[in-house]
Amino acid sequence: MTPTTRAGALATLALLAACDLKVTNPGPIADDQLNNVTAVPALVNGMSGDLSFALGRYLDRGALASGELSEAGLFIPETHYFQGSFVPQDVNADWGNMQTARWTAESGLVRMKQVLGAAFETNVNTPRAYLYGGFANRLLGENVCVAVIDGGAAQSDSVYFQRAESLFTRALALATTANNTNVATAALGGRASVRAWQGNWTGAVADAALVPVAFVFNAIYSTNTARENLDLATQTITRSESSVFGTVYALNNKEPRATWDTVRTGTAVTKGANGTPVFRQTKYKTLAAPVALTKGTEMLLLRAEAALRNNDFAGAMTLINQERATYGLAALTATSTAAARTILQSERGLVLWLEGRRLWDLRRWLAEGTNTFLATRDKCLPPSADEQASNANLR
Amino acid sequence: MLTRSIRLSHCVHLLALLYLAGSVPGALRAQDPPTPMKVMASSKGPQYLPLESVRAGVVRMPAALTRRVTVALDKVPLQRVLMEIATQAGLGLSYGEDLVRAAPMVSVNIAGKSAADALASAVAGTSWAVLVTANGQVSVGPAGAPLVGMIAGQVTDRESGQGLEAAQVTVEGTQLGQATATGGRFTIANVPVGPHRVSVRRIGYEAQTVSVMVTDGATQTINVALGHSAVSLSEVVVTAAGTERAREVGNSISIVDLSKERAPIANTQELLAGRVSGVTVLANSGQAGAGGSIRLRGVNSISQGNSPIIYVDGVRISNAHTPVSVGGHGDISPINDIDMTDVDRIEVVKGPAATTLYGTEASGGVIQIFTKRGHTGGAQATFDVSAGVNNMGHIGVASDSTGMFVNQCSGINTLGDGTRFQDATCPSSGSWLRNGPITRYALGVRGSTEANDYFLSGNFNDEHSVLQVGENKSGGVRGNINVRATPKLTLTLNSSFVKRDVRWYPDGLSSNAFLLNVSRGSGSFFKGAGCTDATAVCVLDDSIFTVTNTTTTNHFITGGTATFTPSEPLSVRLSAGYDYDVADVTDITPFGHLRVPLGSIAETKWDRALITFDVAASFRHALGFLTTNTAVGAQTFDSRLNSTDLSASNFSAPGVPTLTSGALRNIVNVTEQRVINAGMFGQEMIGWRDRLFLTGGVRVDGNSAFGTGFGLQTYPKLSASYVLSDESFWSPRFVETLKLRAAVGESGKAPGAFDAVRTWDPVAAENGQSAFEPSQVGNASLGPERTRETEAGFDASALHGLLTISFSYYSSRTSGALVPVTLPPSLGFGARQLENIGVLQNHGSELSVNAQLLSRRNIDLSAGLQYTRVNSEAGDLGGQTITVDANSLSFVQQGLPAPSYIGDQITNPDAIADPVVAHNMFLGGTFPTSIISPRATLRLWNRVSLDALGEFQRGGHLLNAIGFANEGLFAWQPCFAVQTKLRSFTAGNTAALNDVTALDRGRCAIASSVRSAGFWVEKNDFFKLRSVSVTADLPNRLLGSSKATSITLSGRNLYKSTPYTGTDPESADQGVNTFSRRDYYIFPAPRTFLITVHTSF
Repeated sequence: MTPTTRAGALATLALLAACDLKVTNPGPIADDQLNNVTAVPALVNGMSGDLSFALGRYLDRGALASGELSEAGLFIPETHYFQGSFVPQDVNADWGNMQTARWTAESGLVRMKQVLGAAFETNVNTPRAYLYGGFANRLLGENVCVAVIDGGAAQSDSVYFQRAESLFTRALALATTANNTNVATAALGGRASVRAWQGNWTGAVADAALVPVAFVFNAIYSTNTARENLDLATQTITRSESSVFGTVYALNNKEPRATWDTVRTGTAVTKGANGTPVFRQTKYKTLAAPVALTKGTEMLLLRAEAALRNNDFAGAMTLINQERATYGLAALTATSTAAARTILQSERGLVLWLEGRRLWDLRRWLAEGTNTFLATRDKCLPPSADEQASNANLR
Repeated sequence: MLTRSIRLSHCVHLLALLYLAGSVPGALRAQDPPTPMKVMASSKGPQYLPLESVRAGVVRMPAALTRRVTVALDKVPLQRVLMEIATQAGLGLSYGEDLVRAAPMVSVNIAGKSAADALASAVAGTSWAVLVTANGQVSVGPAGAPLVGMIAGQVTDRESGQGLEAAQVTVEGTQLGQATATGGRFTIANVPVGPHRVSVRRIGYEAQTVSVMVTDGATQTINVALGHSAVSLSEVVVTAAGTERAREVGNSISIVDLSKERAPIANTQELLAGRVSGVTVLANSGQAGAGGSIRLRGVNSISQGNSPIIYVDGVRISNAHTPVSVGGHGDISPINDIDMTDVDRIEVVKGPAATTLYGTEASGGVIQIFTKRGHTGGAQATFDVSAGVNNMGHIGVASDSTGMFVNQCSGINTLGDGTRFQDATCPSSGSWLRNGPITRYALGVRGSTEANDYFLSGNFNDEHSVLQVGENKSGGVRGNINVRATPKLTLTLNSSFVKRDVRWYPDGLSSNAFLLNVSRGSGSFFKGAGCTDATAVCVLDDSIFTVTNTTTTNHFITGGTATFTPSEPLSVRLSAGYDYDVADVTDITPFGHLRVPLGSIAETKWDRALITFDVAASFRHALGFLTTNTAVGAQTFDSRLNSTDLSASNFSAPGVPTLTSGALRNIVNVTEQRVINAGMFGQEMIGWRDRLFLTGGVRVDGNSAFGTGFGLQTYPKLSASYVLSDESFWSPRFVETLKLRAAVGESGKAPGAFDAVRTWDPVAAENGQSAFEPSQVGNASLGPERTRETEAGFDASALHGLLTISFSYYSSRTSGALVPVTLPPSLGFGARQLENIGVLQNHGSELSVNAQLLSRRNIDLSAGLQYTRVNSEAGDLGGQTITVDANSLSFVQQGLPAPSYIGDQITNPDAIADPVVAHNMFLGGTFPTSIISPRATLRLWNRVSLDALGEFQRGGHLLNAIGFANEGLFAWQPCFAVQTKLRSFTAGNTAALNDVTALDRGRCAIASSVRSAGFWVEKNDFFKLRSVSVTADLPNRLLGSSKATSITLSGRNLYKSTPYTGTDPESADQGVNTFSRRDYYIFPAPRTFLITVHTSF
């Protein structure tokens, strides 16, 4: 080797030695950076955000699947939902979003226990974390066919309600200790519903009776960022993808609980891309409109339904009319359990309209033999194509 | 011809010599100085050589210097001693005034020694040196001044005798060299005295090497006539290890020589289409300025892109396109920012067998662009001016007289279901189309000064679309400077800057898009009042053009290379490069827009930088029959990406908005990424008798995106080349040149910046409060995917150079392919995680044939054919089908081409029956499997050239999503007749479908339960006449001072033939960033007519 080649080789080695491959990129946060007390508030906000996101994205499709809205656009998954067909491919987004909401809350609680230690139970964010975990499990339980937890095997969908009840119970206890009435009441409302869905109507009525009629606990939406937008408003106000046209709610444009208007081009009602006239829901007027997760009027109807199960149609109508009065509506009368049940099913549809709850109501009523809307339609979301393809326990 | 030395200072010294007049026998008079600069050939005039080289026997010793002399002088001026020796030996002596002024004192005591030895001892220990000529003339000058001469001459075409421009003339073993100027002239100054070998190379010709003896201050004239050869084994190609001779290289490298292209070429992708085998160019968009997809030998990666990496003048630039304009569905390819009038040649290195030394990321191949360098001699300028039009022919099937309501929009038009509509805003011409003007200017100046040569250029291009909006305007400058600092050190600086403003027309799948709205007729999103017929649906499609979709870029590339050749066998190259590309992509929906009355703005601010350091050294050595070339090198690539997406909506008032004009404002996304890749290579080439070459090499790479558990990656390569025709047993009767070659090598592709680590994204929740959401699961053992390729082939020249053939077969396998794996969503992380699990296989062949069909005095006809065959197949993918894009029916599945269309298929297409549908069927591979590009060039009277280039692509498929969507809206004219029959059948006419096939019933279905996009996956085979041109060289007498002028008439895309029923078989609305393709309301590419005047002066 000549001196010059040696020099060249040395220069090469020096150049290599000088290059440091370590790069710090801004933006994404490393997982271990979340193991910090100061990260807890944002972690719990994230649980709320993931729940709002999952619910908000599902609202439009859930409404299409359960006769609350009609498809006015050309989107393929939405068209399938509207047709009553849940194709595993189409379910990917909803299944994934709902599972993420559940997982961030449940795994976040595990992380919080580690990070907060003895202060876990007294931390102001802990009851909220339990509450979001409860609602995330309820969202899954009410809409999907089978429970799959963390890549595990398929279980009965009631597993979600069991988990939800347990999480609501913890939220209730810690929030009560901390004098956090808002979270405690929301936990009661949530627990009341999942107790009923597990057949524990007595427990459900006991919880529901403790929720004030005017109480509402909302999933939060905002115009702050696109991710915080209420997607249902995007699909109906910003765009014309879904329409009230063709649903039972289109028959009465004076109903204060299911409001809508029309958009006109000249004198003709504007049509969506698939030709459906656009009757625009106005329950949520902005991208920041909140969506109720639980509320007092829902509790009245839950108690009314419990009464009906005992054939107490008079007691049921009293509770229903109490609910109607809060919306300024005249009382209704029924002279039989069957008539009262028809009113109850309609009232639940109106009170909970576009809140992502209808599919479950229709599904359980079909099972009870009191409603046939879903008779020839798919009843619940199957595990998504992604879950089926990637989860070995489902094969 | 008078050639003048560039090293003026040295010449002046010689000119100022004083001559002893009459005092010495044979001496010249001062009034009659020698004029060494006027020498034209080695036989004329005195040529001074150092005394030392004469004594060493490099040239024959002049008789006078052998004469014995005796001198004994103590402490006298040097000139006194010299005069004594000259007198005794009968030598002619000359020296300068500077010697008289300096008058160095010397002592000499010699007896009976030769005059040469006496002269040597006289100047020994002084700062003076003795020069002698062959006839015994002696000159004395200061020692240490380098002794240099010049080499000048002309390179010509052996057959035509015409001068050859742009031939590379190189003094071997030095950095000295020149490209020949117009007429083939060259002058290389500052050549060290002594014997040299001068090589002359030009693409398309056989190289030649000439020996010359350079003497001080003299000019050696050499005239070289080169013979044609398309297989030039002496040609130099640039590889990662430096320059190598074509005969040494064991893999195929395709070279496109721009000097042979007479028709103007808009950009690199247009140039590569049809000219190089193994290259697939897909246009994607018809928008002026839009970047296409370039693939070399198919696809090697599912997730990491398949764009080749790009080098410009030896410096790597980013291959990342700008962000896609959401409204315009177009992006800008960085490779198109190199102006074609600046380019000298492009080398395409196709597969990993050849790209190993380029390291991680090179598995998609390498495109090397070389821009023009300086000419020898004075400044020479070229000026190109082009003018022309973009013009759109009929759109869609011929039976649709309205051309999807684009060619014809006036009056009342009718959809398939009888819906009548009128466009109140249809232009008075009755068509949305117009001719889009094109203007291009390019000015280039090349020349050289004493130690530099330079190429400076500027260009301006402006091209309009065939619609009311749509424009690609760009301007750029370039400076290439080459500095020969010393005979051993050359510095090169190449810099370019391009500014581009593109205004897109709204295109693709967007509710604002042109073709989407216009082709849907009454289904346009832009409805309103103002139509004359109150019974028709009134549309206002002119409103489409109120949105503004723009991309502006500033692209700056600079690179410097120092090449140091301390001794002939050793060469060290050090390069540094900086590529900086800034883009602003803006979509504005104005206040008062028909669909979004309050308006909105979305803007992406993007910049990308690539910083390169590259050092490489090569050492050549000869040992008897063996030659070796050892190369080592190291590179770092520091890639940075910043991208910020911003949006605002709800403006307060009309006017041109900014991001702060909206009531609602959003920072949508911010990306800041940096990836460093560093590596080194070593390569050893062993040659035997200059005909058999074995090369082995290895590349070692580290990358910041590799997982922590991964470390360095090693990629090996091995190749062999055998010039069989150099063997003595070879009979060159039919085949003069035959080179066999084979190579195997590996390359890879790195994962993205964050793919290896588990991350969370900071987001807002609870109305603007800080929050986290799960982002990336992470995989600490993530590494690059590796592609191993084996290639074999030959290059041959036959029938006295009339026929040249180059053939390659290759087979590649990508293992550990980075596949985006879906983890169970119930595990929480929604994003897919890259895993090294997949296998992709490619094999194919490439054939390039060129033939001189006719060569007479006034007529010259040549033809060429490029053939490419690519078979791509996905191997084991860990048991899963990878969804590339479900809406495009695009999947990667084991055993099928990657990617493939998979979906619903009608199994009884030709039956007169209802369609029988099978689900999840393989419908066809996405990319073409064979490409055939014929070309013919006719030259008449040495003045007029006709050139035609066509391209067949076969084997690909395309989802005609526009047909599928419009059929359902009764806006697909080819379905009108079938749909009428379907309605008639539904109405009770049972015979209505008696002549309607299942395929037509499925494709044109009215019932949504029957419709399926899968029925619309079609073969997109096509033939396109890519370019046709006629060039006339104007006679010199017409031109006055300018040296050469030619006029070219050219046309592009003049003819298209395809069974594809959509608008264009090359359309794709998803740009280059995704793997899948579909034709979804992309407005097709126009045809182009141009007239170009090229002048050099």
